[in-house]
Amino acid sequence: MQQREEKQLEFALENIIQRVNDLKSSIASMIMKVENEYETLNWPNFLDNYALISGQLTALSKVLSHDKCPVLRNLTVLPLMLSPERDEQLAQITEGRVTTFAHDLVPDYLRTKLEPMAESKMLQVENKAANLTYENAQKQVAAYQKVVLHVWDIVSKAREEWEVESSSRGNTQQNSSVADTHLLVAAVGMGKGLKMGASPNGGNPTSGGMMVAPQNRPGGAGGSVPIPSNTQSVPMNKAPSTIKTNIKSAAQIHPYGR
Amino acid sequence: MSAAPGSAMDSLSAALKCNIIPNQEYLLQGSVLDQYVEVLLHRLRGLCDNVDSGPESFHDHELSFALRAQGAGAAPMVLPLRVRRALDSPDSPWQLRYVGQQELGDKNRPTVVRSSIDMACSSTIVDFLTELGCRIDFEYIARGYMFRKGRMKITVSKIFKMGNMNSKPGEGVEPISQSYLVELSVLAPTGQDAIAEDMRIFAEQLRPLVQLEKIDYKRLGNIP
Repeated sequence: MQQREEKQLEFALENIIQRVNDLKSSIASMIMKVENEYETLNWPNFLDNYALISGQLTALSKVLSHDKCPVLRNLTVLPLMLSPERDEQLAQITEGRVTTFAHDLVPDYLRTKLEPMAESKMLQVENKAANLTYENAQKQVAAYQKVVLHVWDIVSKAREEWEVESSSRGNTQQNSSVADTHLLVAAVGMGKGLKMGASPNGGNPTSGGMMVAPQNRPGGAGGSVPIPSNTQSVPMNKAPSTIKTNIKSAAQIHPYGR
Repeated sequence: MSAAPGSAMDSLSAALKCNIIPNQEYLLQGSVLDQYVEVLLHRLRGLCDNVDSGPESFHDHELSFALRAQGAGAAPMVLPLRVRRALDSPDSPWQLRYVGQQELGDKNRPTVVRSSIDMACSSTIVDFLTELGCRIDFEYIARGYMFRKGRMKITVSKIFKMGNMNSKPGEGVEPISQSYLVELSVLAPTGQDAIAEDMRIFAEQLRPLVQLEKIDYKRLGNIP
């Protein structure tokens, strides 16, 4: 029975020491980075390091709270011998941090109680709590609850609004209009709606239809027949109606105008 | 003197052969309603490369010329040529651009591909084209912002119709819709289809604010 417990304790201690060492080395590397690479260190990298340390802390606390881990609080560490002289072995174990196991250091290192200052503060608070009347305590609890509830309400309301907003945005997609896309693309790509010929004052010299007709006539077979067919079958896909009227007017103007 | 044009042609054809001329435009188009354009610009500012300098604004006047020629067959040829100039920076060179017929490809191809060649020129280009027999087909004003991400170019622009013939550009113009045109494009040498996949991924990131899609011009012909 005794032996088994001892074994368990040994195993748990080994485990804890390993975790603590891991933690120590990653903290050391982080300090190293902050001190030496502060110029190149970027934020994501820093956060990675931090996440590593926090993961190691979690692992350590898991080991400590494990069922198989003996209750360390029930064990005592007893200093058998104090000496004011330098202890080489101790210095080696602690990497030179603690060189003597003397009476002025031991109380600090083997402390299991809180520091005197913290202890007195805790005592004060505990006294205050003990002296409180039941009604007063109830009142304070109620007030505190009210505040918490209020904050809770605000948070959940904001969340609700946010969710509604994001879901409605996902569903309706009112940010763009397909009709407008097509209108714009057709305008930029083919000049749809931009040609001067389409405007009411069709006598504009820059209108496409106007310019085309006289130009094609001399080169073409002549007469009005080939012109509309030419113009209509161009790959530019023009609206036929406006062009037809333009060409007619051009054909009428042409013999007299030139 | 006579050797100069020949050697220029030689180096041009050599460049064509080596496939180093970016003459293919990969294109996706979409639009965003006026009231959401700020949201889109904000998102683009976050996604694109020119974060520090902010978006580049532009204010351009584009003239589309058409050169019509009777081909050997019955079908007439129309050669579209586009001239673009920056209204907000009069000293900049003008741009002459040829844009070919777009290829939609099948469903697996994420973007429209069309051949595109552009070059800088001076303002006399208009007279030159007119002398060649080109006529203005249509014109418009585009005002908006340009973003870059790697090789991709994203423009968010408002398209204005020219008011009337006599007014100067920039005056008496009216927007043609309540939306901004959004275009995502890359100019690349032939055969670099991998960039299209990058564009598709980038377009995904702008959803649902903007639906950048392949748009078939032929279908648009039927829209009123």
